[in-house]
Amino acid sequence: MSLKSKLQRMKGHLVKESDQQKQEVPRESEQEPSAADIPFARQWQELQAKPYVWDGEHVMLREVRYPVTHQHGSYTFAQLHEAIAAWEASGRQHPLSSAGRKAEDLLFFDTETTGLSGGAGNTVFLLGYSRLEGDEVVMRQHFLPGPHAEVTLYHSFLEQAQKSSHLVTFNGKSFDWPQVKTRHTLIRDQVSALPTFGHLDLLHGARRLWKDELESCRLSLIEQEKLQVTREDDLPGFLAPIRYFDFLHSQDPSVIEGVLRHNELDVLSLITLYTHITRLILWHEQEQVSHEERFAIARWYDALGDQEAAMKAYAIVANSEHSWNVRAKLALGQLYKKQKDFSQALLVWESCMQGTRFVPEEVYIEAAKLCEHQFKDWEKALFYTKKAYDQWKQRATLLRQKTRAEAQAYEKRIARLEGKLSGIAEEEDEMGSLFFD
Amino acid sequence: MEMIRKKQIGEILDYLKTEERFARNIVHWRTIPSREAKSVPFPAGLDQRIQDALIRRGIPALYTHQETSFRHVMAGKSIVAVTPTASGKSMCYHLPVLQTLSEDTQARALYLFPTKALAQDQKSELHELINEMGLSIKSETYDGDTPAQIRQTVRKAGNIVITNPDMLHSAILPHHTKWVSFFEHLKYVVIDELHTYRGVFGSHVANVIRRLKRICAFYGSQPQFICTSATIANPRELAEQLTEEHVELVDNNGAPAGTKHFLFYNPPVVNRQLNIRRSATLEARDITEQFLANGIQTILFARSRVRVEILLTYLQELIKRKLGPKKIQGYRGGYLPSQRREIERGLRSGEIMGVVSTNALELGVDIGQLQVCVITGYPGSVASTWQQAGRAGRRQGESVVVMVGSSTPLDQYVIGHPEYFFDRSPETARINPDNLIILVDHLKCAAYELPFKEGDRFGSAEIMEILEFLTEEQVLHFSRGKWFWMNDSFPAHNISLRSASQENVVIIDISERGNERVIGEMDRFSSMTLLHDEAIYLHQGTQYQVEKLDYEEKKAYVREVQVDYYTDANLAVQLKVLEEDQTRSHAETAFAYGEVSVHAMATIFKKIKFETHENIGSGPIHLPEEELHTNAAWISFSNSLLETIGTEDVERGLVGLAHVLQHVAPLFVMCDPMDLHVIPQRKAVHSQQPTIFLYDRYPGGIGLSEQVYKEMETILLQAEQLITSCPCESGCPSCVGAADDGSKELAMTLLRVAQGGSTYVS
Repeated sequence: MSLKSKLQRMKGHLVKESDQQKQEVPRESEQEPSAADIPFARQWQELQAKPYVWDGEHVMLREVRYPVTHQHGSYTFAQLHEAIAAWEASGRQHPLSSAGRKAEDLLFFDTETTGLSGGAGNTVFLLGYSRLEGDEVVMRQHFLPGPHAEVTLYHSFLEQAQKSSHLVTFNGKSFDWPQVKTRHTLIRDQVSALPTFGHLDLLHGARRLWKDELESCRLSLIEQEKLQVTREDDLPGFLAPIRYFDFLHSQDPSVIEGVLRHNELDVLSLITLYTHITRLILWHEQEQVSHEERFAIARWYDALGDQEAAMKAYAIVANSEHSWNVRAKLALGQLYKKQKDFSQALLVWESCMQGTRFVPEEVYIEAAKLCEHQFKDWEKALFYTKKAYDQWKQRATLLRQKTRAEAQAYEKRIARLEGKLSGIAEEEDEMGSLFFD
Repeated sequence: MEMIRKKQIGEILDYLKTEERFARNIVHWRTIPSREAKSVPFPAGLDQRIQDALIRRGIPALYTHQETSFRHVMAGKSIVAVTPTASGKSMCYHLPVLQTLSEDTQARALYLFPTKALAQDQKSELHELINEMGLSIKSETYDGDTPAQIRQTVRKAGNIVITNPDMLHSAILPHHTKWVSFFEHLKYVVIDELHTYRGVFGSHVANVIRRLKRICAFYGSQPQFICTSATIANPRELAEQLTEEHVELVDNNGAPAGTKHFLFYNPPVVNRQLNIRRSATLEARDITEQFLANGIQTILFARSRVRVEILLTYLQELIKRKLGPKKIQGYRGGYLPSQRREIERGLRSGEIMGVVSTNALELGVDIGQLQVCVITGYPGSVASTWQQAGRAGRRQGESVVVMVGSSTPLDQYVIGHPEYFFDRSPETARINPDNLIILVDHLKCAAYELPFKEGDRFGSAEIMEILEFLTEEQVLHFSRGKWFWMNDSFPAHNISLRSASQENVVIIDISERGNERVIGEMDRFSSMTLLHDEAIYLHQGTQYQVEKLDYEEKKAYVREVQVDYYTDANLAVQLKVLEEDQTRSHAETAFAYGEVSVHAMATIFKKIKFETHENIGSGPIHLPEEELHTNAAWISFSNSLLETIGTEDVERGLVGLAHVLQHVAPLFVMCDPMDLHVIPQRKAVHSQQPTIFLYDRYPGGIGLSEQVYKEMETILLQAEQLITSCPCESGCPSCVGAADDGSKELAMTLLRVAQGGSTYVS
């Protein structure tokens, strides 16, 4: 029995890879291509792409130029210069800072690949980026017309990419760039090394800012909700692999056109997104920024250890009528406490209690701790603790998850304070306060 | 109050020897004398730090097999060292690896263990050794439990990476670009417990090694292989098949051993006419109790997961008063890894007095020195039996192994023929790396890892046709003489090395609302008969009833119950021949080998009461049919038999003979009886003749039935011996299965015909 017929018979037992649409497979020509006779040359030209030949193979280079005055969504590309200048002027240490960079140092970069999971077999078939070059934004795509031409692909890409020093990506830190590294490793003896880029990844920032507000932090959704970029007839990203497989068989650029346009918009939007996020972070006092965003910015500064910037942003939210003013006050008080400005901390927390909004127990407990340990005002401390405990008990009937340990911590604190008030200097029970401290 | 003095092991042996209750059932008592050590001085080149550390450990010299291994490996050869349990076999690879690393800090080694448990074990041992030697060698496990931060360090700087084949297959090879310096400097691949790489699993692993070697070649390294194996008939052949390298055999074991008593125990006949014996499970329980009650650490092996749980329940109940409930534990495949680790620790520390296990503990998991091993039923192979027996007794002191026979034909044959067990060369381990299904699976993975080019082979396998097939299937793309992976999937994730079915069923305990938890998993094929709706599933001695088996989602929901029965399911099997590849005849009978399709469906289950084993109810199972394309060997009888003997009797004869063959055949091809199935058909679809089929239970076959076809004459001869030596009158569960009048004679008649004889009925 022939192996092939056996394979056909065994087909049911073989693991199926995802169902692709099957087509007739045209045999490829075995000849080396020259720039002149690449298939569908005219269609490629209409797409603004031309062949790049090296080492006897070609890849397609697609280049579209925009004037910097071009408005993409909320901003013109030229406003990137303002953003960089703002970082420069702020003097802040921030993972997204481009202080000290020129606009052309930043490569706004995105890839398209044949699969979603990382691994040696996932081919990067499109390397796209946009970059300010003089008074233009150049959007350039390096497209792999067949898997044999990867050496040429990376050669052409490196030639260009080396002119920049930093990548700006959306999830490129954990996906695109590692995948480029992986594929580059496979041909590392035939092309020069990858440069060590600085890397500004915007996904992390986007998540910090909009995780609660947006249904997801997809770039297309952010464009729509935050950047006023509209896409028409956009090809969903997940279809890119299938389109590419189809292209490999037909070699017809119209099959892959949607992927190219999708990637083009992605890398252009990265400029707008970077401009936007920069303005939010640095100019949140002036810009049209929601209090939710401002609070997120404050928390980000807080996490980075920039207390000054964090307090400034928290203070704006705290002094607003927005419902998040309570959490802003809680956080602000904590920063005052960290700076050992205990009176300010207590002031902020007590101002919280005077409002009409629901005040979480945490605020009372924090205030109680200050009163007890810093101001030795045990009466006030006891008052706040009881207030917190009462409120907790009320809520506890609604939330069955409340544990005994929490109740014990309250009771312990109350007992201790009552002890202190009645003059018996009880030894501090570290265990009791551990829960809240 | 009377103080009960605990008996010593010698006293218990005397008791077993003299007490009628046990003594009359001991059919064979073999005392294996102690063995002196054979040592040689440290080899000249051995690093002084290594020598010093060994001396501090009280090791002034090497055993012969350790020294031979060292010498071969240092001379650049690949080896397989064959040694029994507790012979210091890990030194066979540690020494050359550490020696090399002491000279070259860049060098890397890959340690492969069949399970995560073994890898964990070896890690601690290796760490101690390295510390004592004062070497700066980084060794770390790399498996599903390794935290993400550590993984990167291991990849970049681990001198010794300890892992398992599954991890190599799905996490290391597909991501080889993250391991560049590892593969560039890979000097050694250690394969411990080589004998476990047989059948389906071994065939998969052979292909994983083909992939590994391909990646190494890409990065310019050519590692040596260092294998260790328990005693099997063909260690060198297996090692060479698995690694496709020339391998030197090291079998000059120099480790000492204490005296070992090996007892064959046959439970008493309770029904002489039907030759029904008392349950082996109950006898094994009683024997184990003798040792446990006197505080002697004992391991009890059972043949199935269900038996483990039944025995555990029994013993925990019996011993509770004397030892407290925590002292006896179960141990088997379905337990979660953390649970298993805990049990292993408990055994080593002595906190756990007894363990009831499936063959999961056959492997070299270090559980310290147990004194007694009780085996319920013949484990199915000589090699496996020695492995289990090796659990008892290590270098000094007396130890005891009791093998309790069950009433299956194979057990009765072995129990009745001790010389078969003690004198026979152990079984041959077989793999079939070129099984089409397995090969195609790994070719996909390999193509994902690196493109193939025209003229390439995959190990020794010819692959051009398969690559073309995969191109037509649009999994690969052919361009400029190379085949590239061109699909959006990650092939290694869809391929499991362990079981025929690709996905496991997860078992979820829903007894407590809001606290649902996963308690284990099981392969899909087994789940048909063990996790169907209403099945009683036992886990750590606790009974659960299956509320629902969601076959689509691969989930079984179970709830804790307390009942006095267990369940047993029937599997209905249909088979038809697709292609006859080879055939030969003996007079009227023909043997053949070829390709078949099998349809299996779970039909009904029975509820069986614990103590009495009576059937107390049954119910239907509604699960879809599973289809299997595989290889089979078969015996076709002439239709003239129907005339001479009568249709009904031919049918009974076939059933009886099939029963015998189901037990005898696995013996000769060294496989789990579960891997080779036997079914009789009065009228086979392809020939309309009475036929007995023996088929591989894995898609595409793994070479078992092919071996059966080759050795059919020997197998039939052994079947005949088994039937003639059975003391029953007209058939019993120990030979032809049924006890109907004349069953035995009918099976014998068919056997004679199959061997080319006549239908003469004596």
